[in-house]
Order: sequence, then structure tokens, then C-alpha cells
Amino acid sequence: MPSQEDIALMAHLMRRAGFGASRAELEERAARGYEATVDELLNPGADSGIDEDELYRYFPQFESSLAPVAAQTEWVYRMVNTRWPLKEKMALFWHQLFATGNSKVDNPPEMLAQVAMFREEGMSNFPNLLVKLAQNPAMIYWLDNNGNHYGSINENWGRELLELFSMGVGHYSEDDIKEASRAFTGWTIGAKPPRQPVGRFYWSFEFRPEDHDYGQKEFLGNVGNFDGDDIIDIIVKQEDTARFLARHLYNFFVADEPQVPAWNITPPNDQKAIDSLVKAYMESGADINSILRVLFNSDFFKNARFAHVKSPAELVVSTVKMAGNYNQPRTGFTQLAFECGWQGQELMNPPSVESWHTGSEWIDGGALVRRVNFAAKLLSDTSLPGVKAIVAGLKERGTLSPAEFVRACLDLVGPVEVDEGTFQELLSQAQQGGDISWDSEETSADSERRAGVMLALIAATREFQFA
Amino acid sequence: MLTTIAAGRVFDYSHCIGMYSTSGVGFLAPMDFALGSNGTVYVLNRGVDEITLRISKCTLEHEFISDIGRYGVADGQFVWPMAIALDSNENLYVSDENLNRITVMDKDGQFLNKWGDSGSDAGQLRGPSGLAVDSDDNLYVVDSMNHRVQKFTGEGQLLGGWGSEGSGPGQFCKPWGICLDGNGSVYVADWKNDRVQKFSADGRFVAEFKETSDGVGDLNRPTGVAVDSDGDVYVADWGNHQVKIYEPDGKFICSLVGDAETPSPWVQDYIDANPDVAKARRRTNMEVEWRFNRPISVKLDDENRLYVAEAVRHRIQVYTKEKEYAEAAINL
Repeated sequence: MPSQEDIALMAHLMRRAGFGASRAELEERAARGYEATVDELLNPGADSGIDEDELYRYFPQFESSLAPVAAQTEWVYRMVNTRWPLKEKMALFWHQLFATGNSKVDNPPEMLAQVAMFREEGMSNFPNLLVKLAQNPAMIYWLDNNGNHYGSINENWGRELLELFSMGVGHYSEDDIKEASRAFTGWTIGAKPPRQPVGRFYWSFEFRPEDHDYGQKEFLGNVGNFDGDDIIDIIVKQEDTARFLARHLYNFFVADEPQVPAWNITPPNDQKAIDSLVKAYMESGADINSILRVLFNSDFFKNARFAHVKSPAELVVSTVKMAGNYNQPRTGFTQLAFECGWQGQELMNPPSVESWHTGSEWIDGGALVRRVNFAAKLLSDTSLPGVKAIVAGLKERGTLSPAEFVRACLDLVGPVEVDEGTFQELLSQAQQGGDISWDSEETSADSERRAGVMLALIAATREFQFA
Repeated sequence: MLTTIAAGRVFDYSHCIGMYSTSGVGFLAPMDFALGSNGTVYVLNRGVDEITLRISKCTLEHEFISDIGRYGVADGQFVWPMAIALDSNENLYVSDENLNRITVMDKDGQFLNKWGDSGSDAGQLRGPSGLAVDSDDNLYVVDSMNHRVQKFTGEGQLLGGWGSEGSGPGQFCKPWGICLDGNGSVYVADWKNDRVQKFSADGRFVAEFKETSDGVGDLNRPTGVAVDSDGDVYVADWGNHQVKIYEPDGKFICSLVGDAETPSPWVQDYIDANPDVAKARRRTNMEVEWRFNRPISVKLDDENRLYVAEAVRHRIQVYTKEKEYAEAAINL
């Protein structure tokens, strides 16, 4: 039987490396062991993690849809129902890092194809991923590389590759941007049939040799007739790249950092942690899986519980997974996709290539009210399977004093760790009803009702907003 | 190939009907369709949840008549419509796999009746999908999540049924489409078993259509099935984006892959009205548009014309089965 600490640590891992897990799954995983679970998360199956035949049987409109919300809904469905939580979480990580927006791309299936690429390649190695990114049609269109021609460069992709996707501001020159851009000339997208009037079609990457600058370039101190692959090869060997990626991984998986634009003037919150991730990067040849293994098995990760504000996607997906009412095709997934947007994270449509600001910037008055109402509504519904399981867990503990009741609810919904002030607030509410008991149908019904109220209150705590 | 010649048969591409649209002229994610009298066709559009769901009533001559039904749980409304069939009075029967019920409407869309209880007991439904009406106006319902076929009167009285979950003869895994041949035999697209099963009218297993030794006749998640007057069997091979054709004894004949090289008149109107679209079509290889994308339902008319609905291309492609075809000189 796993200890309470084992379960709490497993809950932490599954919140970060996935989208949470039910109490039964946490206990099962904790019994198997922490490192075994990390190993399992790092070695998902080769498939996408869901039964796509089932998906498209029930939602035929997801394939080739003209509507952005259909693509967003498909992704939410995948996040909720994936068999490979870390693989899907990495897709979200790369989407937040390599922010691409349908506001310009205007091709929802192509956005889904980019996310699929993140899912397939997101745990491989960084050089491979950057090449795939440079050849991704949505990215090419998003950052104008289809307008980057021999003799007439467009610097947008070259600049963002260095500034936002690999090295960070301050580690390259304006000339490096221009030379990188020259190397990516001719990397474009092929013509495709127009979207209307029989549905969407996919773009494809196309290399046009007649539009490529084969001349000599000087990039980050290296000289040669570089093409795009060579530029990426040089970039990924830089320690600045390792440091930049390490900080992104830390910010996403471990604890909230300052916003990215401040990174060149603000040191990391935990320099030692970043150093250990940089070491893993350099020693593994930029192997993402190896870096993640170091991260999840580190003390700095294990000790960082509730140090990361859930993104809207994390909050929405983890809450419905806890409630257990979206684990198969059903109506209502569209509303979950909209909900992410209403809370400030419209998937596949970030505010800019700089992506969303994270951490406490997810929270404002309007977003907080939405987050609380969304979670409280689900967790107070004791008819939902996941909430029923929590109530059953309470019932197993027998008669409970108000303090025991609050602690049990916090345990079963997370475990969520709250400060003393929050605990006293919850306790004062619990004390109004006295002890929880299950002696008769009447007391059981009342206890179940009170459990729903308590879970809603926990969903409204400051602590519940953190992963 | 616009003309496919195989095993003494000739399947010749004729034309297509439809285009993408959220209402009115066109379809959106068609799941099934039914051929009515005087060239009328009823196309069942899944749409996108609350919007765009409807039955499009039009003709095979591209005349749009009306939209029927909409999203909802009230009488005459649908949530996840799955299949449509007509009785001898051209009343419409529509299965709804979310509401677990059959809705009956007249040919103008007026609500007549609904029946069906959720559950797994005899006569109850879980995820009703394919529908077929026999010569007595009884209704075969593919009860997909219960992995069985049930037969009802048009008013919903249970007459019988067969099937259970599994992969053996007479068993099913989430079956989908269904059809009857001229002898009353029943064919069921056994979706997750990647096969079509043939039964006698009372449910006795007769044969299965599944695969060929070289793989070219293998089915991948078949969704629809139809049988022509010669006994040839046509399968909407949804997972392979093809229509597979088999002889009555199960021998594989050929595949059709879609041939909509000439846009439907509705599509052509759209292109003509949008010069940028016309221009874009001229600068690219359009072949991907011609091919089937999720063929989901197949039907035949009295003249053995084949109709193939595509869920992702929002149209119906039409083929003829030529009787008097003369082979062109091979050295032409």
C-alpha cells in the first residue's frame, strides 16, 4: 500500500507530466513506483494515444473542418482521453513555445497537423524537432518563410527561430538573423486546392532550389555554404540554446518563471536546476527524453508542488478528467474548447508568436471567476462518476469530524495542500453541519450534498489554481 | 480512372452532387442518404453540433428543395443522426445514436413519430446506426453499441434480432451500415471487425466479406454496404477511402477511389462567382479533390447506378454500371 507521501508525489507528477489522474490511478501508479512511472511516461506507444477511428466516427466534422473551434475541440478531446499523457503534454508545451496562430494561418486542419507533429516528434531530439518545425507548413506561413526568397529575404522566420525558439535575445546579432534567413530561402509550401467548396486540404513542405541562396554565409562565427539544416545544426550546439530550452522546460513543468521577454535581464529562479538541465542537454546531444528524465527525477521538481499556475487548458482538462464525465465521445467537448479560450487560452490561436504569458498572468478578475465557476460546477455535481468516486472514498473513511472531513476532501481531490488560513475557512464551513456520517439514507444523502459543497469550495481556493 | 473495367463489369464515373455548406444548397458531414421517388434524395448531415445539422432534401438533378430538422432533443430534432431510410410511403426514418431513438417524418419533414428506449434489453437501443426497410415496411436497426441487429415494425414493435459482441460468425463489434438484397438477405457492415457479414432474413449467418490473400480487397472499418440486382456487393471502405466491390460469392472485383474531376454544378457556381478560387484551382494539382475522403454510405438505384456519400468532401459521387460497354481499341 503506497504511503500518503507517495500518492502526493505521484499526484504532483501526473499533474505536471500529464493532466492529472484519478485517485485509483494514482494509487496504482504509486504502488508501481515513481521512477517506474517516469519511465512509462517517457516511453509512450508509437500511436497518437487515442482511437482515431472512434474519434472520427462520432465527430466527422473534425476532419478537414473549416471551423477553428472544431480543431480546438479535437485537441481537447485528445488531451482528456490520451493514453500517453506526457506525449500530449509535450505537444502543449511545444505549442506554447513555438506559438503558431490560426488567426493568420486560417487553416484549422493544418494547425492540427502541426500539433500532431509536436506529438510525434516532441520527445525525440531538439535538432530533429527544429528541422520539422522549419518545414512545417503552418509555421512557414505563420512566419512568412514562403515570402523568403533568394535575393530578397524575409527575416521573420530567421529572427524568431533565434529569438523565441532556440537561443533567446542577446545571443546573436542582426547579421546572424540575415544569414540564417538566407539559408532558409526556398523552404516554402506547395500549392494546394482552395479550402472551398468541398472542404479543407493540407499544405505540404516544398523546397525550391531555384529560390534558394546557395552562397557562402557567416553564422554565429561559422562560415560555409549553409542551408537551413546547417543553421539548425549550429544553433543546437550552442549552450545558450540549451539554457533557453532548459528555462522553458522549467517554467512549464517545474515552477513559474518571469515572462520570457525578461529572461535576458532576469536570472532564473533556480540556477542550479537550469544548470542540471543544460548539462543533460549537452551530454545527451539535445535529446529531449533524456532532459525530461533528469527533470522529473530531480529533487527540484519533486519539491516544487503547487508552484505553477495551471494554464486554462490544464485547468479545464484536469478538472473534467477528475469529474470523469468526458472519457468517451459525447456532446459538449466544443464547450470545453470554448472554455479554454474564455479563460484566456484559445488553443491554436495564441496572442502572438511570443505566445501566452504564463504564471500569475493567467489570472485576472474575469479569468479567475471563470476558472472557479467552471471547476466548482463540475466538482459539486455528485452525480458525475469522478465525484461519485470521491464521495465513495469519503464514505470508506466512516464518520468524520469537520476537520477530518475537510482533510479527507483535500486529500481525495488532489491531494491539495492548502495554507492554514484556507484550511480554517473550509473548516468553518464544515463545522456548520457538524460531523459527517453515513448511518442512514438520510445522513448519507446529506453527507453527499455537503461533500459536493466542500469540493466546490476547494475548487474556489487559491491553491486549486496551482498544479 | 473514370472507367474501371474488372471481372466482366464496367463501372463508369458519371457525376457528383453537393458541396460544403452550413445550410441550404450543399451538405456538411453527410452520414447517410436515401433515394426517394422522382429523383429526390435526402442527405443526412451530421453538421457541427448545434449548427448546420439537417436533412438536405434535393434532387439528383441538383435542385435544392429544403432543409429538414435541426439540432435538439424535441420531436423532429436530432443530436447525433446516424442513418436514414424510407418506407414505401416515402416516410423518413432517422436513427439518432445520441438520443437512442428512431424518428419518423413525412417526406416534407413533418414529425410523425418517435420510438426507442435506451438500454440493452431486447427492443432497447444503444447507439442505433444503420437502417434498412424491407418490403413489408419493417425496419432493421443496427443497434451498434449493443453489437446486434434488431427488427421492428415501422411503429417500433420488436419483431426479432440477432448478434452479440465478438468476432465470430454472427457476432459484431460496433456494426454500422446495413442493407437488404433482392432476396431479403441482410448485409451488415461490421465496422470494428473490418468485414461485412451476410445473413438470411431471419439472421442466420451466410458469409462474410473481409479480405483477400494479396490484401487489395481488405476492408478497413467499413461503414456502408449495398447490393445491386446482379448480386454484386459494394462496401464503403471508410478507413481506406475506397469503395470495394465483391462478387456475390465474396470474390473481390475491384476498388473505386473517387473520380470527381468535374465539379458539381453547385461547386462550379461557387468557382464562377469567386475568381480567386478559380485561379487557385488552376495553379495546383487538383487530384486530391477528385478522390474519396471518408466514403461513408453507398446506395444503388433501380438501374444499378451507384451513389457514394463522402463525409469529409460533403458530396455524393455517382457511377453507372454499364451493360453495353464496348472496349475501345487497345492500340488507339
